[in-house]
Amino acid sequence: MSEHIIEVGKRHIKEINEEIQDAAASDKVVRVVNTLSRHNLGIGLPDGCKISFEGSTGYYCGGLNVGATIDIERNAGWACGEGMSKGHITVGGYAGMSCGAAMMGGTIHVKGDAGPRVGVAMKGGNIVVEGKIGYQSGFMSHSGKIIALGGAGESCADALWEGEIWVAGEIESLGVDAHAVEPTAEEVAEVDTILDPLGLVDTSREWRKLVSGQRLWYFESRDASAWLMI
Amino acid sequence: MCGIAGRIMQGVGAVGRDLVDLMDAQEHRGADSTGFAIYGPPRDVGYVLRGIGFSKMQMDADLADFTNILRDNGSDLLSEPKIVQDANKHYCFRMEIKDPNDLAAWIADADELTDRIEIQSCGRSLEIIKDMGGSAEVADKHGVHDMQGTHGLGHARLATESSVLPNASHPFWARPFSDVAIVHNGQITDYYTWRDKLERRGYRFLTENDSELIAVWVSDQIKAGLSMEQALRKSISSIDGVFTYMIANTEGVGFAKDRFAMKPLVVIDQNGDLAMATEEQAVRRVFSNECDVINHDGPSLTGLWGVNNRSIAA
Repeated sequence: MSEHIIEVGKRHIKEINEEIQDAAASDKVVRVVNTLSRHNLGIGLPDGCKISFEGSTGYYCGGLNVGATIDIERNAGWACGEGMSKGHITVGGYAGMSCGAAMMGGTIHVKGDAGPRVGVAMKGGNIVVEGKIGYQSGFMSHSGKIIALGGAGESCADALWEGEIWVAGEIESLGVDAHAVEPTAEEVAEVDTILDPLGLVDTSREWRKLVSGQRLWYFESRDASAWLMI
Repeated sequence: MCGIAGRIMQGVGAVGRDLVDLMDAQEHRGADSTGFAIYGPPRDVGYVLRGIGFSKMQMDADLADFTNILRDNGSDLLSEPKIVQDANKHYCFRMEIKDPNDLAAWIADADELTDRIEIQSCGRSLEIIKDMGGSAEVADKHGVHDMQGTHGLGHARLATESSVLPNASHPFWARPFSDVAIVHNGQITDYYTWRDKLERRGYRFLTENDSELIAVWVSDQIKAGLSMEQALRKSISSIDGVFTYMIANTEGVGFAKDRFAMKPLVVIDQNGDLAMATEEQAVRRVFSNECDVINHDGPSLTGLWGVNNRSIAA
């Protein structure tokens, strides 16, 4: 498979993304260089495309991904992989706020820490963070799994719906209506099937699974005492 | 959504040029107006003023009245004012003055002209340049590219809760504290509560911009005995809203971030050679090599960066 190298620099993002889309459609491996943390790189990339961003990327890289394998060498800015439905994104360093926001499928693998609100409003897929996930991660997550191997910041799993947050390490505090449970061996085995392809299985981990306490699900506005949990 | 930036040089350098780059990269965050706070080489005596006059038609008369108030307070012009004007109705000016007998008293007197002339900054080294338009437009008009200094702040404004006017632009000077400037990204929800409290203590606000309030609020806390670090920390629990702000004085730059972690701040620090901005792509305009960035993404954060790696006492 041949290789297509695309220079970012100060070029217009629309022009760069058109070139990326053309290269992706031509069955080439795409290397994007001199990224300079520019925003909106690699949006809506097609199934089967393999692309690497050499350097750091800005906001929304890999957003609306429909099946591409995306490798970001260093850091990713806010909302990496927002709204993706399929595919795989690897972030070599730190992922900024709202990584995987509203994603519906696929996997995001962050090798460093991740900022606040990882997986906010996500509706499916998996986010694996080798480091720590930031403040209010999993906020209003509807489905899917967030797996943090290096602990979690404050207000974790706040207002969670049916998503799950798996944490190995310290959790600074739980969010509103978050509930920590001991996972079963079968559930741990299921998580290990997500971690195994990434080479991250460690049977010595002590997991806590955070789920919704479901009190907000049935919130009755006339019951003022319900607000006391906030 | 606004964009903020800071820059600390190693010694005196082209801080104006770098701030223009930092703000140019963030112009999409707010193109209503752009501003710069630049700390030039400090002088031991005398102040540099930056101001705005609201009517070119009355410029001579208004500047004469302004100068008379200056003289009544024991000061005078050290040189002829430099005037910048274009097709807009307003004009901007820069002047250097002798020390007044009492800085705060003179500013209170000068503010009686505030419907005609407004002081935008006063300091031994601080100069605030702000105007309507994008980074390049404002910088070209006011010669910001060529301004030398040790450190500074920048701001791109998307007006939300106050007018699109040159004097409602950022940075804000902490009237009447010399050499204190602020840039802010966010909204303060208890603005009127705090403004009322500060006005009762004699402070005067010339806009309805919440950022002007933060500048005075922090300076008032420092006047009351807190260190800069303590004042920044206290602001997080005392002021309501979503915010990240940076405040500067002659010693360096500090920042504070609210409890909800909504407003980003990214920093590159290469042994005290610093660039800070809302977006990573902006700091990479200054440091284009793939050096590490620090993402201050978490809630309730503060930090201080002193010029030449020195600590900030106040």
